[in-house]
Amino acid sequence: MDVKVKIRRYDPDIESPVSYWEEFSLAVPETATVLDALIQIREDMDGTLSLRCSCRSAICGSCAMRVNGHAVLACQTKASESLDSEGIITVEPAGVMPVMKDLVVNFDPFWEKIRTVEPYLQPQGPEPEGEYIASNESMLHLSGVTACIMCGACVSDCTVLEVDPTFLGPAALAKAYRFTADPRDGNAEGVSQRRLEQLSMPSGMWDCTRCNECVQACPKGVAPMDRIMSLREQAMDVGLGNNNGARHAEAFTELVAHSGRLDELRLPVKTVGMFNIPALLSFVPIGLRAMTHGKLPPLMHKSVANVQNIRRLFNKVNQSR
Amino acid sequence: MKYAFFPGCVSQGGAPELYTATKLICSKLGIEIEEISGWTCCGAGVMQEKNQLFGDTLNARTFAKAEELGLPILTICSTCQGVMGQANLRMKRDPEYLAEINSHLAEEGLEYKGTAEPKHLLWILIEDFGLDSLVPHLTRSLSGLRVAPFYGCYIVRPTEALDIEDHPERQTSLESLIETVGATLIDFEGKTRCCGFPILTINEKNSLAMVGKHTSEVKDLGADAMVTPCPLCHLNLDGYQPRAAKQLNRSISLPILHLPQLIGLAMGFSHQELGLQKHIVNTQPIQLKVGAGAS
Amino acid sequence: MLEHDVLIIGAGLAGMRAAIAAKAGGANTAILSKVHPVRSHSNAAQGGINAALTDRGDRWEDHAYDTVKGSDFLGDQDAIEVMCRAAGKSLIDMEHMGVTFSRDDEGKLGTRNFGGQPIARTFFVGDFTGQALLHVMFEQLVKSGVQSYEEWFVTSLIQDGEQIAGVLALEIRTGVLHAIRAKTVIFCTGGCGRLFEPSTNALIVTGDGMGLAYNAGAQLMDMEMVQYHPTTLAGSGVLISEAARGEGAYLRDKDGNRFMEKYAPNMMELASRDVVSRSEQTEINAGNGVNGCVYLDCTHLGEALIMEKLSQIRELGIDLAGADMIKEPIPIRPGMHYIMGGIKTDIDGRTNVPGVYAAGECANVSVHGGNRLGANSLLDTIVFGERSGRHAAEAASGMDFIEFNESAVVRQEESRIQQMLDRPENGDRWGSIRQDLGDSMNKNLAVYRDQAGMQETLNLIPGLKSRYAGVPVQNKGRVFNTDLVFALELGYMLDCGEAITASALERKESRGAQARTDFPSRDDDNWLKHITVTKGEQGVELGTLPVTITKWTPEERKY
Repeated sequence: MDVKVKIRRYDPDIESPVSYWEEFSLAVPETATVLDALIQIREDMDGTLSLRCSCRSAICGSCAMRVNGHAVLACQTKASESLDSEGIITVEPAGVMPVMKDLVVNFDPFWEKIRTVEPYLQPQGPEPEGEYIASNESMLHLSGVTACIMCGACVSDCTVLEVDPTFLGPAALAKAYRFTADPRDGNAEGVSQRRLEQLSMPSGMWDCTRCNECVQACPKGVAPMDRIMSLREQAMDVGLGNNNGARHAEAFTELVAHSGRLDELRLPVKTVGMFNIPALLSFVPIGLRAMTHGKLPPLMHKSVANVQNIRRLFNKVNQSR
Repeated sequence: MKYAFFPGCVSQGGAPELYTATKLICSKLGIEIEEISGWTCCGAGVMQEKNQLFGDTLNARTFAKAEELGLPILTICSTCQGVMGQANLRMKRDPEYLAEINSHLAEEGLEYKGTAEPKHLLWILIEDFGLDSLVPHLTRSLSGLRVAPFYGCYIVRPTEALDIEDHPERQTSLESLIETVGATLIDFEGKTRCCGFPILTINEKNSLAMVGKHTSEVKDLGADAMVTPCPLCHLNLDGYQPRAAKQLNRSISLPILHLPQLIGLAMGFSHQELGLQKHIVNTQPIQLKVGAGAS
Repeated sequence: MLEHDVLIIGAGLAGMRAAIAAKAGGANTAILSKVHPVRSHSNAAQGGINAALTDRGDRWEDHAYDTVKGSDFLGDQDAIEVMCRAAGKSLIDMEHMGVTFSRDDEGKLGTRNFGGQPIARTFFVGDFTGQALLHVMFEQLVKSGVQSYEEWFVTSLIQDGEQIAGVLALEIRTGVLHAIRAKTVIFCTGGCGRLFEPSTNALIVTGDGMGLAYNAGAQLMDMEMVQYHPTTLAGSGVLISEAARGEGAYLRDKDGNRFMEKYAPNMMELASRDVVSRSEQTEINAGNGVNGCVYLDCTHLGEALIMEKLSQIRELGIDLAGADMIKEPIPIRPGMHYIMGGIKTDIDGRTNVPGVYAAGECANVSVHGGNRLGANSLLDTIVFGERSGRHAAEAASGMDFIEFNESAVVRQEESRIQQMLDRPENGDRWGSIRQDLGDSMNKNLAVYRDQAGMQETLNLIPGLKSRYAGVPVQNKGRVFNTDLVFALELGYMLDCGEAITASALERKESRGAQARTDFPSRDDDNWLKHITVTKGEQGVELGTLPVTITKWTPEERKY
């Protein structure tokens, strides 16, 4: 199978380095992965190509990179399925992290964020002599998160990190959830209050924009965004609701449970807090503009017909939880 | 062609022009839409953070009502589409979960039988209606109008909740549509990224940065407009564009079109009919480029 | 000047465990690795970790016996006793650190069956136990605050006579060469799988530590004992865990027969690995395979079990061989996987080079002897990682640093490396030399060996070495020059290849993983001993060491 691999390269050793494209044409077996092609290029065609790779079996996490614009593990991506209409596979270094050389990016910011969440078990209270007793269900649930191989694909494609490098990011937040969800971490009931407090601060769990890029990118099914949502649920459950994100989720639910449809005027007010004058004032220009353009939601929000059905449903669902 | 219409909350409040434009073009195309009575909010993913069960129950209720009508669901919002798809997937994968939800719906005399396949108008036009069938209705030339696509996260990810495996053409649906209506496609990598709406009231700076990034990028590529199938994206990309421009310290002025407005323009409807004067970012330049009334 | 009491080279399970133990022992500790710790090959271990827990009625003596028998009586029984005694506590320690082990219905640690052991004492996390343990160990490393040199590659050792004085290492990111002074050095550099083609091993497994230690005067031992794992995936050669057989999978020939009945009627698919690999190879050689493979059949295990306990290998089967084990048997064959041989150490990790220790796969205590039982490797790394870290720290507390001229040694090494970079481009690239070595090793040093074949490989090596002497490095840059690193690694691989081949020729018997068609029986009278390799004036010098026998007299080995 003939393929063309177009690689975005970068050589810091030359004077005034800039990134540039280079295309390689080669023949690879039908079953080849993109990594196989890159290794072939490196071994037979151009030994100056730098990339990280090791296990070839999606467990070491070294070879995360962007293939055709999206982060993947190169060893898990079939070359035959990555060809565009001109038979070209486009390969670039992972996003967000600074490029060091060719497909090698600087992972220091990644590891820094991981260290920030205190990524080790912190049980309170005495250690048992034997193993902690825990259900297989809880361990299986955690194994779904510990499956993370720290490849950085989620970070590469995160839309928040793209505009804000201070965001903790999907990998670190999922790692944090691995501990808040561990019955052995935290107090006797397994509640890691201190962790949740720290994660609720700015640039933490509430800064995720829920775009699903990390869920789509993760090669191990960790679904970091879902874990961030679980962190939010955990935080709200232990009463850490004093922030816009928590108020937003709670207000949304209350408003819909009450009238069946979203009261778009009340929602932002409840989100920032009814007495948060500065924030409310900042809405005024937007509101005025919307009004003059005929786009202001009605001041008197209408409930759906037979709204009592919705309210009853809400109570019934909550009772069952 | 008849569908159970799910308008979604925003088309009733912050983006009424979407609602009117939708009804206008469906009527002309012969796509009959019957609004689901007593439909409720889909949850937008926000409610699901606090109470996923309630969110899934409300969506199951909507699905059950559509089943009663015996009609497939038509959505006009990427977020509604995505959230419904995810809810549906959860219920289909776990019969026990679905049974639990149905036990709550029983009191209203409803039961979701698991047959709903909600589809966005964008997909319906391509898959059910057919782009070829659309062409005869396109009476106004949009030649020279340069339009960039912006999908909205929920209609492109996660792929398993959107049936992308069976319908890979959905991943280029907006581009196909832009070209079919005769406009010039301005392609760019950010078309599947996030508009920032979900974090608007949580981290406005980041939200505006996202708006600014995508709109300024296509503006610099020469786009006359951006089209999106998601009214929440529209609220941010249009409504907050002036603020985003200020944060970026530059001018942007990129009109944002709802999907039915782009199609409606090509079908010859007027600016006024399509509600284009309601937008925050002035859409006059489009009017000037493609002409005022029907041709 | 960078200096440490204990410098650990290699940040896999053994290395990180050693680092934590050394730091806990009060030593100024650092760990150095050519890849980030979580990229280490420990993460590829799949099946589980063995331990005899007394509160379940298991006995460490039984585990030890299974290990001794598994080693085909070449294992040193004092070392095996140490390991099996320590296993229970090591396991519980790992659980307390946070490993998400599988549980039984009472919430206690759950087990699965594994090769060579009549009872189930293998504790596991799905089929990615190595990855689970490695990541928890990394978490503990972060917690301990041990200094870490990430993506640094050791190019030479610095010695004062025999005594270790430090190392020279290339900082891969910048191309800068550094000297690090160290009182003690612990090699935890893993195996040398890449000198076989194919191999289950990752690309980084190139025998660096074994090569460095050998050139520094350390004794390598039992190098001929190379494990061919019974179930490696057709094509890529990637590992398909023994856990599949542990959960009840069958091996079938092309007609669907469970051929293990002929070779190990009692333990069947769960006989020791060398027995199973030989059985498969015999069937394949007799024409009962398809495309050089036989089949691993998991279809009767059911979707639920596979999704819960074997999900990773199922993905590998789908991604790399186009076969879903829920629905169909997958094609597998024996593949090079592990080396029982390595740097000879005592039970505290000491080698014969003063100040140099070793632990993990690169070491040979010997706990695995002629054949390693599955799930004993993870145990080995943790037990002997801890011991060597602890003992190195203790030793270092009574030692002084050895002085040497830092800039002189760095300059000397820089010029050696520059010479490599300046070589003309017309030499053979490292890739082709490695391919030739790998093909030859896989042809003649695989499951079945004979004099003629092994001699062919040994004869090849001088030629490969002289090609290596001229190997060009295409990348002349400084930043992330992997071409240079690969060229340096090849040197270590060639030394390991020579040691393996010479030892295999020397051992004129079949024992454990060494199966010679010209000497098909085990010969305790003449060969119940270890074969050692040291670097002499003329090259490889062979020697022997006695096997330590404590409780278990060697007997016939049947499964």
